[in-house]
Amino acid sequence: MLVLHAPELQLETERRFEGFENLMPFRVQDILLVSSLYDSFILREDGRLNELLIRESLELNLQQAPGITHVSTCAEAVELARSQPRFNLIVTNLSVGETDAAELAREIKSQGLDVPVVVLAYDYREIKDFVARNPVTDIDRIFLWQGNARMLIAIVKYIEDKRNALHDTRVAGVPVILLVEDNIRYYSSFLPVIYTELINQSRRVIREGLNAAHRLLRMRARPKILLSSTYDEASQLVETYRDYLFGVVSDVEFPREGELSLEAGFDLAHRVRSLVPDVPIVLQSSRTKFKARAQAEGFSFLRKRSPTLLRELRRLLTEKFGFGDFVFRMPDGSEVARAADLSTLEARVRSVPGESIAFHGQRNHFSHWLMARTEFALAQKLRPRRVSDFSSCEDLRCDLIGSIAEYRREQSGVLVGDFKADRFKAGDPFFLRIGDGSLGGKARGLAFVRHLLHTRRLSHRFLGVSVTVPSAVVLATDIFDRFISENNLLDFAISCSDDIELQQRFLAAPLPAPVQKDLTAFLSEVHHPLAVRSSSLLEDSQYRPFTGVYETFMLGNHQPEISTRLDRLMEAIKRVYASTFSQRAKAYLRVTPYRLEEEKMAVILQEVVGAHHSERFYPDFSGVVRSRNFYPVSPMRSEDGIAAVALGLGREVVGGGTCLRFCPRYPRNILQFSSVEDILANSQSEFWGLELDQREHPDDPVANLREVRFGLNAAERDGTLHRLGSTYSKDVHAIYDGLSRPGARIVSFAPILKQNVFPLAAILQELMKVGEDALGRAVEIEFAVRLPQGSETADFGFLQIRPLVRSAEGQEIPLDNVDPGRLVCQSSKVLGHGRIADLCDAVVVDWHRLDRSRSQEVAREVRYFNAKLSGERTPYLLIGAGRWGSEDPWLGIPVAWEDILGARVIIEAGFRDFRVTPSQGSHFFQNLMASQAGYFTVNPDVGEGFVDWQWLASEPAVEEQGCVRHLHFAAPLVVVMNGKTSAGMIFKPER
Amino acid sequence: MSTGIMTPPGIQLPDGYVGGVWNLVKAKNPAEPEFHQAVQEVFDSLRPVLAKHPEFRAARILERIVEPERVLMFRVPWQDDQRNIHVNRGFRIEMNSAIGPYKGGLRFHASVTLGILKFLAFEQVFKNSLTTLPMGGGKGGSDFDPKGKSDEEVMRFCQSFMTELWRHIGADTDVPAGDIGVGGREIGFLFGQYKRLANKFTGVLTGKGLNWGGSLIRPEATGYGCVYFASEMLKTRKETFEGKVCLVSGSGNVSQYTVEKLFDLGAKPVTLSDSDGVIYDPDGIDREKLAWVIELKNSLRGRIREYADHFKKAIFMPTDVKLQHNPLWNIKADCAFPSATQNEITAKDAANLIKNGVKLVAEGANMPSTLEATRMFLDAGILYGPAKAANAGGVATSGLEMAQNSARLTWTREEVDDRLHKIMIAIHRNCFETAETYGTPGNLVNGANIAGFLKVANAMLDQGLV
Repeated sequence: MLVLHAPELQLETERRFEGFENLMPFRVQDILLVSSLYDSFILREDGRLNELLIRESLELNLQQAPGITHVSTCAEAVELARSQPRFNLIVTNLSVGETDAAELAREIKSQGLDVPVVVLAYDYREIKDFVARNPVTDIDRIFLWQGNARMLIAIVKYIEDKRNALHDTRVAGVPVILLVEDNIRYYSSFLPVIYTELINQSRRVIREGLNAAHRLLRMRARPKILLSSTYDEASQLVETYRDYLFGVVSDVEFPREGELSLEAGFDLAHRVRSLVPDVPIVLQSSRTKFKARAQAEGFSFLRKRSPTLLRELRRLLTEKFGFGDFVFRMPDGSEVARAADLSTLEARVRSVPGESIAFHGQRNHFSHWLMARTEFALAQKLRPRRVSDFSSCEDLRCDLIGSIAEYRREQSGVLVGDFKADRFKAGDPFFLRIGDGSLGGKARGLAFVRHLLHTRRLSHRFLGVSVTVPSAVVLATDIFDRFISENNLLDFAISCSDDIELQQRFLAAPLPAPVQKDLTAFLSEVHHPLAVRSSSLLEDSQYRPFTGVYETFMLGNHQPEISTRLDRLMEAIKRVYASTFSQRAKAYLRVTPYRLEEEKMAVILQEVVGAHHSERFYPDFSGVVRSRNFYPVSPMRSEDGIAAVALGLGREVVGGGTCLRFCPRYPRNILQFSSVEDILANSQSEFWGLELDQREHPDDPVANLREVRFGLNAAERDGTLHRLGSTYSKDVHAIYDGLSRPGARIVSFAPILKQNVFPLAAILQELMKVGEDALGRAVEIEFAVRLPQGSETADFGFLQIRPLVRSAEGQEIPLDNVDPGRLVCQSSKVLGHGRIADLCDAVVVDWHRLDRSRSQEVAREVRYFNAKLSGERTPYLLIGAGRWGSEDPWLGIPVAWEDILGARVIIEAGFRDFRVTPSQGSHFFQNLMASQAGYFTVNPDVGEGFVDWQWLASEPAVEEQGCVRHLHFAAPLVVVMNGKTSAGMIFKPER
Repeated sequence: MSTGIMTPPGIQLPDGYVGGVWNLVKAKNPAEPEFHQAVQEVFDSLRPVLAKHPEFRAARILERIVEPERVLMFRVPWQDDQRNIHVNRGFRIEMNSAIGPYKGGLRFHASVTLGILKFLAFEQVFKNSLTTLPMGGGKGGSDFDPKGKSDEEVMRFCQSFMTELWRHIGADTDVPAGDIGVGGREIGFLFGQYKRLANKFTGVLTGKGLNWGGSLIRPEATGYGCVYFASEMLKTRKETFEGKVCLVSGSGNVSQYTVEKLFDLGAKPVTLSDSDGVIYDPDGIDREKLAWVIELKNSLRGRIREYADHFKKAIFMPTDVKLQHNPLWNIKADCAFPSATQNEITAKDAANLIKNGVKLVAEGANMPSTLEATRMFLDAGILYGPAKAANAGGVATSGLEMAQNSARLTWTREEVDDRLHKIMIAIHRNCFETAETYGTPGNLVNGANIAGFLKVANAMLDQGLV
């Protein structure tokens, strides 16, 4: 009998499957992911994506999973694709660095490389802009990332199927499913669902397989999916695959012969039916009127806008999956244990008989299993070790345990660990997951930050300051799913239109029992105040400001009874769950391309940065820093960024509440503190903290789950104002740094920004740089700081990082070569950024008729129009001469911010004999920044842009008061502002 | 300003002279519209005086008074924190020193031009004259924009500015003060540099720190002064503040100290306001409640609406921008003290006040009544104390700071307050008597305009052609 050594055994095994290699000749071997570090991190979803890829690819192909190699520039991508043929799929974002996807695809094709290029984009509007602007013929397909980790698998399968379908149908008669959908958003949702179901189907089949070869055939023989977006292409495919057509899922409305055809789906269905009478056809449309017709004609119908669309689609198929465990065997082949993951592997290695370890060790099984899980580092470490190197089995066992444990320790510093109730200790920083679903957008961002702090070695970069992500436990989305399904809440929650009822039903429903056990274990260790934050699938990952849509709660978590603390915690969690379905969230989702059903909620339980001060708890200060300043004032430049900080918790900082804004590069040039009046008007007079006393609030049940406002005198008593404060002297009308003199206290941050008691500006400059590097675009970072009371280090809590602007291209809005006749206004001195295309109204102060000595009356007229338009919630463009918000009626129109609150974009133009300079630094300007309004300054006499007054005067007014006119247009005025170059244009409405 | 309300009937107007000088002003000072208008307003109010005093015309007083005695314009170079070099323009308009050293603020603001400073200096001459103190008129500043400048940059600018200015000013020559963009911090930097260059510690600037030459009662001066002035107005009708219900707008320094002094004099102040709205306390705002307001506004920097949460009897009326009037002025009361902002009393407000039988309006804020409202008050014959007279307490304290510096003494609060009181009595008597002399008895608008001018003009006559 032939005795095989391990490597030969492997070869033999492979040879046995040889015959079936004929199927699926094109296989994606390695994916070249061209994206910023942040995007690739999001995609890999802290390691889960690899696992999914492996599980599903393994089960489908019984072969190695495609590897993912990440590069961050297009040049690297082209170079790699050319030099290493194993890269046979390129997945890229719409733009990476300087280059965009269309250019990359063109470059790949022009190099003669047969590598499909697929775009994975994050924002639907971004895609639309992109397609409108670029030739996309070289791009194989564009997909929309919607927080579903299976998207990448679907892309791989889609590309493989596209290339293999013809071959496989011919060779083995593999069936084909035709999906016809022209909407990127919908096919990006459908494909992962359909592939998941196919995989599950295959898995069931596999178990029923008679032997390995049979299983492989069944697996490879799964139906192929062909995606088409036009009638012409679809009917060609139907023609080609008529004998193999297994089913059709088709939109109703899609292009035919280059034009959108309202009923193309029906035509296609009839054509399919005429060729292959018994094939099941599913039509889907957002128009419910087609339902009756479809059903009458014998087609299934899905309503696209249905909140349960995917579930209905899924109804076709089966779910559930398990996965390839490591099976410990004795030399005789008998199983002694199984391990599904690394930590179980470590535990089992401790307990299984030595013979089993030797058996697997000899055959390099550990290394092999790890390799398949892409734990390459550990696999490679174990591979060269031979049983013969060890004096006994026990030595081998110890070495294995040591290696795995060390590896896991390293990983847990960076990756998200699993929460283990019996082993949890709160001593070291932790970031753990309960459940095995997604972490959600916000928690994923936090995991990324941990990774970033670790790899860039930022944690201890600054002497005496420890930069960390505050410890947290995340309840993954599967806990949410279980809670919803165990309590049967989904249908109720989707249809419920009363938030109070919604909350009551959620609060009455119990959390899954194992979760309660985990939370108890967590609270028995953690006595620190906790923030309970939402982390939904769509939050952040879509670059959408879901901030404020879902609930965040703050718990003092200080009560002596653990049962009390647990009750509060569970209440907060359930309230966050309920907020997924609140009227506000529903309303918000309605105006986005997403469906409520797709949304899942993870919950972050995170230690709050701060310290106890008698009955209060709060950080010394909180803030947000943005790496781009769209309202820069000399000497600051846009790229110097802008920070906003406030004493206490940061509840109002991100939203633009009263806080201190400064440029980290010029921390002593405080724009809002230019005069004593400005300082008094623009500085913080109260702060947010957690109140730890046990007051009951019968009228507001969630009051004790939230922050409370305190006056600055409380901060002075607590000693926290000393490092942030200045004093106003009424007698001298001056502000003095520090609190040594009598007078009103001001939060000025002077001790930090001027006297350098804490290196805030330096830290923020560094973090902005690292953040921009990692995300490949402008970023926004939230933080909170606890300053040391004694000689210990300060805590700089890194709370969040997210991209600042929707689109990198936004900064490259082309502003040249526009016919001035098309413009209402053009300026090279614009504050603000982006594109505004919903202004149909303008309030114009007539330049020719304005008499400077009557500017008070003009202010009153402007106030009137603002009240009128704001009352109708109509945003408008405000055009005036002279400085807006001037206190001196000679210099402009003396309006207060409240008087022009409804204006989205404001133009101030120079007088005939007077130039305007923007009212920067004033309270007015602070409000402008906070509201993100656009601000155009025009001084034609010195070449600073123009306003087409003549055109404005020729437009009829809806209403006129004095020299102020309200104009309304049928089509919107389009405003384009480039925050980087401070250029901007306002286009006349299209006629 | 319209001439109709100021000029008594039957007086022949010296239109030829006034019109001629005004045309000359426009021709000689092109592109200074602010200055033109200021001159026109003063001239309009002086028609009765010029009709009565041919000597002013003979001595060409108008031609002389519109021409600054001296205009200084100088280069102010400075370096920012990045060592970039900037050049600004410095000004000092020494307008008139007939009755005392030039006195007037320094303004640091991007909008500063020669025309604007001339306009301000011209008005300052008459404001200072009205206080009865020996202060001439001036104004100065720079187009330096303090927005976003660091402390160090502001200091370097102030030092450079003073490095030229110091040779032109002095405690007995020209005494600048603060204005927009020049607060306690800037006065400190300027004073420090002056002292270093001149090697003298003198009262060359006002608005100084309390421990190095500043005066007490500065925050209180305008509010206290306004009430003292109003008290004199009431005396002319044989009335006192005892039991008078008073409306006070605003909630800043002027309003707070107006309320305090009113309460001291036996009146019952019932309102305060801020941009959010108005509080009305029918029980009156007493000392204790005022202390609470001062804490709220000055230390906690809260909103006045909180008053109504804290004192249950008070009601809060939020601001309604759609209204053409302020409900504060529609509360039945005896006296009104507009102390918040310009043009806060519209014609509709004035009508409401008159309808409700208000006996007195005294302006603590700058020009709080619109022209139309002013005319309605005068026509209705109620006691009306215009801002330039009623709120002269602020300017007067600058004069008192100079006096203390010259005497090398620091007066107590009581001493300063007492002097302030006497000054306000004198201002009122001056305005009241002048109004009577020039045929518009009780019209303190005319009285103030004419009295301010007469003192300066007569001093100029006395001192010969200089």
